[in-house]
Amino acid sequence: MIQIIYHFLVLYLTFHLIWFVIREKKFWNQLSGVIVLIMFLLRLLLIK
Amino acid sequence: MKKHQATAFLLLLLAALVCFFAGREFLTMHEEEAVYPSPHLTIKKRLSDYFPGLKNSPGDSSVYIFEGQKMGGTLLILGGTHPNEPAGFITAVLLVENLEVTQGKVIIVPRANNSGFMHSDPQEGNPQRYSLSTPGGPRWFRYGSRLTNPIHQWPDSVLYVNPAGQKLSGTESRNLNRSYPGRKHGKLTEKIAYAIMQVIDNEKADLAVDLHEAAPEYPVINAIVFHENSAELAAVTLMTLQMEGVDIRLEASPPNLRGLSHREWGDFAKTRAVLLETANTSHGRLKGRPSATLIINGKDKNYMKAAQLGLLFVPFDEDGISLKQRVSRHLASLRALVSGLHELHPDLCIQLDNLPNPIEVQKVGIGPYLTPSK
Repeated sequence: MIQIIYHFLVLYLTFHLIWFVIREKKFWNQLSGVIVLIMFLLRLLLIK
Repeated sequence: MKKHQATAFLLLLLAALVCFFAGREFLTMHEEEAVYPSPHLTIKKRLSDYFPGLKNSPGDSSVYIFEGQKMGGTLLILGGTHPNEPAGFITAVLLVENLEVTQGKVIIVPRANNSGFMHSDPQEGNPQRYSLSTPGGPRWFRYGSRLTNPIHQWPDSVLYVNPAGQKLSGTESRNLNRSYPGRKHGKLTEKIAYAIMQVIDNEKADLAVDLHEAAPEYPVINAIVFHENSAELAAVTLMTLQMEGVDIRLEASPPNLRGLSHREWGDFAKTRAVLLETANTSHGRLKGRPSATLIINGKDKNYMKAAQLGLLFVPFDEDGISLKQRVSRHLASLRALVSGLHELHPDLCIQLDNLPNPIEVQKVGIGPYLTPSK
């Protein structure tokens, strides 16, 4: 159960990050968001 | 489409590409190296055959059983309790690929914590693999982590109370050698520990040996750690090894250090429990750059300096402490333990044929005793 909650949490934050990157106007903020996104995606796919 | 949106999609595409390549690299750690059992193998089982709770989990692992024609004692050998201690794992693989048992029974689990082989310790820079030369070409082996993969067991609590009641830091909940006697419905590492206890119980192991390594600056090194029920056996083994010129010491298992194999196997499963330690340079905190070469040849300038300053518990010179030396030490200790068991309990004889000769392993290396890749 805790694993499912965790997955939903990571999924929710991943979508938020993607939405942030699309809406953000400053390049360096977009880049920072994308770097964090990579960790979230790897975690979401249970790779790392 | 506005300019910042176009940039965003480009960056997201870049992130997807990084994920793809990084993910592919991480997933190679899930591959298992080939092991070619000796033709004298009686049966290959899985830990899940002893505890179905591990079935289809990353904690399930191969169990190799060699049974002789004549009745005798039963020996359990565990390698890979800590997958960043390669001598234990390689010794177990060497035995699986060479052994013939004519009397008694030998059970070998080379990847005791299979999940720990599927990742590497973050920020350590350890190589993912190392290769050993065999007459038919190189064979690779995984260099894993001391702990279970956090992908398979999450989250770590702040404080971990292990099944034996000892309070430890949260990450230790992923350390197989702090999780004995295990819990049937516990975390993955506790389930693996429970499965190993089931192997000891069901197979009625008379002697159980856990193969380890530790940093040269760690005091319990080149040592036989023994439960009090195997004190006599450990003493006889020590004398045999010293007569063979192998410098080794005895360490009694402290009764208040709970959750470790040498304590709980003896207390709960009533088997003669022994843990063997060799000195591994690549495991230590004083080493220079980690590499596959360091794992194999064990040479390191920092350790030479540490030895000169008297900071180490083992002799260390420019020759280092190679993997073949460490494996040879484990093999010599196993041979001495089996002979000691027979000496003290003639009914528990275990006849090991084709056991790689420790002196020969030191001379010619490990490769000639490994089956060439098929």
